[in-house]
Amino acid sequence: MVLTHCSLEGIDLVTLNGRLVMADAPPVRQQLLDRIAQGNGRMILDLGQVGFMDSSGLSVLVSVFKAARLKQGDVVLLNLTPAVRSLIELTRLQQVFAIFEDETAAVARLRQADAAG
Amino acid sequence: MIRTLHLKIDSRSECIELVSNAVRGLCRLTRLTTPDLAGIELALVEAINNAIEHAYHGEPGHPVMVTIDLAQDRLSVRIHDRGTPMDPRQLDQISELAEPDPADPNTWSHRGRGLILIKSCMETVEYRTDQGLNTLIMSRPIHGGSPKPA
Repeated sequence: MVLTHCSLEGIDLVTLNGRLVMADAPPVRQQLLDRIAQGNGRMILDLGQVGFMDSSGLSVLVSVFKAARLKQGDVVLLNLTPAVRSLIELTRLQQVFAIFEDETAAVARLRQADAAG
Repeated sequence: MIRTLHLKIDSRSECIELVSNAVRGLCRLTRLTTPDLAGIELALVEAINNAIEHAYHGEPGHPVMVTIDLAQDRLSVRIHDRGTPMDPRQLDQISELAEPDPADPNTWSHRGRGLILIKSCMETVEYRTDQGLNTLIMSRPIHGGSPKPA
């Protein structure tokens, strides 16, 4: 699992590439939590290159989302592959995560939340 | 005709991908659709995760055995371990996930999510323990007719 990061005017855009499974979950969770701690809690997770995720990977997303909320921030998901979308829908977490297929819309959502906060 | 594949890995999470890849390759011999294949892989990975995490308490150095039977119209997978057995009633007690409430973070995580995913992705799921050998057996039909010829 490879993580790349860039900042879009205060919003962290993190791109994950590979499988997000039990073996990868601890280091990926730590890197993302560190990023949330260092930033302002607004994060876009681009999962367009994550072809497979299990429940351990899902727990990483939930941990990061909770950490962001504790900072009055938010995490949105971008570009879900069919396997990851199916996992999120099976666990009904689409009701918790905002999901986007367009980066501009994801940024707008976080800016809106920022303005409201 | 049933074609059978036996695999054995060490109880380390890094080894699970080896089984995943083998099963994906095997499923390409069938007419399973990509979403069906993803569901089988998810059930398999969750079952091995459970064996490593719960039966062996995350301890490496123990065997996890996987047997896959590919029949004309059905795929069956057995995951064996020799660790702490699961209470088989857990399978029946877990039906479906509670609805997560976006406003309540306590509802976002659920214990037993792996078992629910296994039950969602497979048609039949059983668990038994015999003389120290725990076996999770799961199967689902292969839609779309017979497997591709060997």
